[in-house]
Amino acid sequence: MSLSRPDLEVIVRMVPEGARVLDLGCGDGALLAELVARRGALGRGVEVDEANVRACVAKGLPVRHGNIEEGLADFPDGMFDLVVLSQTLAYLNRPLPVLQEMVRVGRSAIISFENAGHWKARWRAMVGDGGGTTLASGQPRVRSITLPQFREALQQLGLRVEESVLLCGRRRVASWPSLRSEVAVVRVTRV
Amino acid sequence: MIVQTQYITFDRQLRLQSGATLRPITLAYETYGTLNEDRSNAILVCHALSGDAHVAGQHSPDDRKPGWWDEAVGPGKAFDTDRYFVICSNVIGGCSGSTGPSSINPETGKPYGLAFPVVTVADMVEVQGWLVEALGIPSLLSVTGGSMGGMQAVQWTVSFPERVRSAIVLASTARTSAQSIALNEVPRQAIYADPNWNQGDYYGTEPPNAGLAVARMIGHITYLSETSMREKFGRRLQERERYGYDFATDFQVESYLKYHGNRFTARFDANSFLYITKAIDYFDLSLGRADLAEAFTGVQAKFLVLSYSSDWLFPPEQSEELVRALLRNGIDATYLEIQSDYGHDAFLLEVERLGELARDFLARVERENTHHASATGGSAPDKEREERASPLASWKARWRAALSLAESRRQETA
Repeated sequence: MSLSRPDLEVIVRMVPEGARVLDLGCGDGALLAELVARRGALGRGVEVDEANVRACVAKGLPVRHGNIEEGLADFPDGMFDLVVLSQTLAYLNRPLPVLQEMVRVGRSAIISFENAGHWKARWRAMVGDGGGTTLASGQPRVRSITLPQFREALQQLGLRVEESVLLCGRRRVASWPSLRSEVAVVRVTRV
Repeated sequence: MIVQTQYITFDRQLRLQSGATLRPITLAYETYGTLNEDRSNAILVCHALSGDAHVAGQHSPDDRKPGWWDEAVGPGKAFDTDRYFVICSNVIGGCSGSTGPSSINPETGKPYGLAFPVVTVADMVEVQGWLVEALGIPSLLSVTGGSMGGMQAVQWTVSFPERVRSAIVLASTARTSAQSIALNEVPRQAIYADPNWNQGDYYGTEPPNAGLAVARMIGHITYLSETSMREKFGRRLQERERYGYDFATDFQVESYLKYHGNRFTARFDANSFLYITKAIDYFDLSLGRADLAEAFTGVQAKFLVLSYSSDWLFPPEQSEELVRALLRNGIDATYLEIQSDYGHDAFLLEVERLGELARDFLARVERENTHHASATGGSAPDKEREERASPLASWKARWRAALSLAESRRQETA
């Protein structure tokens, strides 16, 4: 079995056997179920959508219904080996406190996000389509996050990168990552 | 489904939370479905303020109405009696067959009235523990209930951590709020104000029905939501075309409250109403502890906690407070706030989503059946097999170890 989103596959590979994992914004539990099945992980989740929480319960996953910008206060310090935030950072109103909370309740955090500095995004902005989603698309507000922006935020929070995987499709990007990677998967911890 | 209420009498002294004692104690209870061979499929359903042991089915084919939660308990339903052995008993202090203020006081040969000692949710649960033991069940698969029933479910996990594998807690709380106490006190005042109440000494005479009816009307308001009232009644008039400009019933909502208030007096004892609301008021698992989380130290049950968005009697925040206390102990807890306009009543009415959740959750509890093995003292090879079948057994140990480590670190830094 494999996950449709390439960043999720990378996350599964980053999680060591038997880790305690908290997935923030875990959706229907696809990643958590995979971590439990393939990594023997002890998986917990936080999810804001009721139907998604029900889907998680159907998969046998314990999930707390709630907003991740509030719900992390329920978890004690250092309770998890890893706290995962996959392609959700861009949708948070106040992302920095969430990152801080992630490394409080977990020893490390894995964050994946779409690179808004990808050359296609830059081209779109240059020809006048702006960054992020268009007004007419009706999509919720999304923050445009670039790799340098992300690094700056980590520095400000005193977080250190343990591992980072930059992807274009399912392939890793080595050169010109800021321009060529579509998705970044980064594992960070406190300095 | 035809069921009979059964009775069990314990000639045994119960030491109550207040320090008072009670003896003998009778419990009215009903059971549904069949207890399996290893006695591992029992689910205890706990009723709320006005409920009784008759949770589902009918007592006779001519019964007009089935039990109070027939939508959720029965063959193929949320609590599937084809799979599970379901037990429901009337709480002590009640008036539907279990010992309460209307029972005969053996010392006087007359009904207790206010001589009945004040009981708490923990006391109710203690006697349920006797019943479950008497039925030969070493460990419950689950204990469930809404409102005060949810309080009992939570109390079970604290009172008998070794004897309950999961709790499904609906529209409830771990400590009764000031608003809930207020909404219990006003109905009590309505009963006190009825001259027929006579300090609780009214058995054999005209009971305080006017007071009890008002008490029930207040209850009914708190069970609905603003939206459900608007949709159910709006400003529609009852059996008249225009305002009467008098004090007869104008609006449908008035008629509804009067009907339910009066109907309640036919089946409920005013003193039981006082005792049970008092038990609700006293419910506070943080009592005598540093905080609420401390109450759940050593609790082993898995939790499914549900709240309902329009419930203002036990609002979602109170379930969230419970969930926080559980998660802080590393307890396996799932929480869900169900979108519903039915207010507090939603726990009785939103059975479709409850059914789906309960089925999935109970299936997992059955799968991860580690606790049961230890509770029944399974032999060592049994336990090994259990661990192979469920990696979560060793998980649980590691999880708890990590927790205690985190705790000791916190203490070191403090």
